[in-house]
Amino acid sequence: MAEKIKPPRMKLKRRIKQNEIFKVKVRFDHPSFTGLGMVDENEELFNRAIPSTFIRNMLVYYDDELVSRFRTSSAIADNPLFTFKLKAVKEAPVKIVFIDDQGERWETSKDVKFRT
Amino acid sequence: MSKNRITIVAVLVASLAAATGAYAAKVVEEIQIEGMVSPASPKALTAALEEKLAVKVLGYEFYGTENGWPILKVEFDSGAVSKDQIEKVIDSTKDPSGTSFRVHRGQVKIHLPLLEEETKADGVFAAESPDIGQLTNPIPASADSHTRGQELYVKFCSKCHGMNGNGAGPSAHGFSTDPRQLWSWYQADKSADPYLFWFITNGRSDMPPWGVILSENQRWDLVNYIKTLAPPTN
Repeated sequence: MAEKIKPPRMKLKRRIKQNEIFKVKVRFDHPSFTGLGMVDENEELFNRAIPSTFIRNMLVYYDDELVSRFRTSSAIADNPLFTFKLKAVKEAPVKIVFIDDQGERWETSKDVKFRT
Repeated sequence: MSKNRITIVAVLVASLAAATGAYAAKVVEEIQIEGMVSPASPKALTAALEEKLAVKVLGYEFYGTENGWPILKVEFDSGAVSKDQIEKVIDSTKDPSGTSFRVHRGQVKIHLPLLEEETKADGVFAAESPDIGQLTNPIPASADSHTRGQELYVKFCSKCHGMNGNGAGPSAHGFSTDPRQLWSWYQADKSADPYLFWFITNGRSDMPPWGVILSENQRWDLVNYIKTLAPPTN
């Protein structure tokens, strides 16, 4: 299980054609754990083991407009990498917000710049 | 120092120790533990406590505790060991997998409320919940209604849901979700009627909204008929 949480990082093409469909890649080093453990193999019951921790929401803003939302659960991987596509309709920042199950919030942002 | 004075000091120390001992007592404490991740965890913690301190681990309670955290029951002599010492040993011990044990203090942070921007996002993206309301089926489930419902079912529904409601009709290909097995509503009580009526009326996913094609009475006949589709016996 990853121990440290690092700020999310986003990758975009440096220059994008207007109306091009471009890829957004965002990586967030955040652990994911249900918080449950199984101490008695015979019982096959889970007990609370450590505080749970996982990303519960990823919100995507394009020019401050909410364009997508990814709802995730404790089933998500440690340090997930998300890839999705957007259409470059305007030169504006793409902002990704992560919120975990403890209500903590992180964000990262990059500008969409058109190729001239 | 003379021999007599040494004897007096020794007697005083012994008396003091005896007096302290008289006030010390066996104490049983229950401590909530974080870090119980595997069957090796309780063994490791018991070994660490009994090795480092004069305590006796009476056992653990893993399930059905008040807030879900496992509880360690430990017995010790309050004159020889304090609860603080026990908690320090717990906090400095690790499970064989490397997970640190900790004494659980404070509230369990689960199901925390959504942030304002998450609630706003829910408003934008969440699937609308069906507004089923308090509809009541005006058509009695008579043989006539079943006959009418069957005709409509064969004509409109069976292509996807199958003649017997098995969800595998001849047109049930390439949908984003499989058509429902309607025999799960077999002999359902009246409370199912508004739910079925709502889905027939509004559709969902690849199912069209039959409310724009079928009259209200026809949809209720369909509800009555769907509830007669029996599941396979074997």
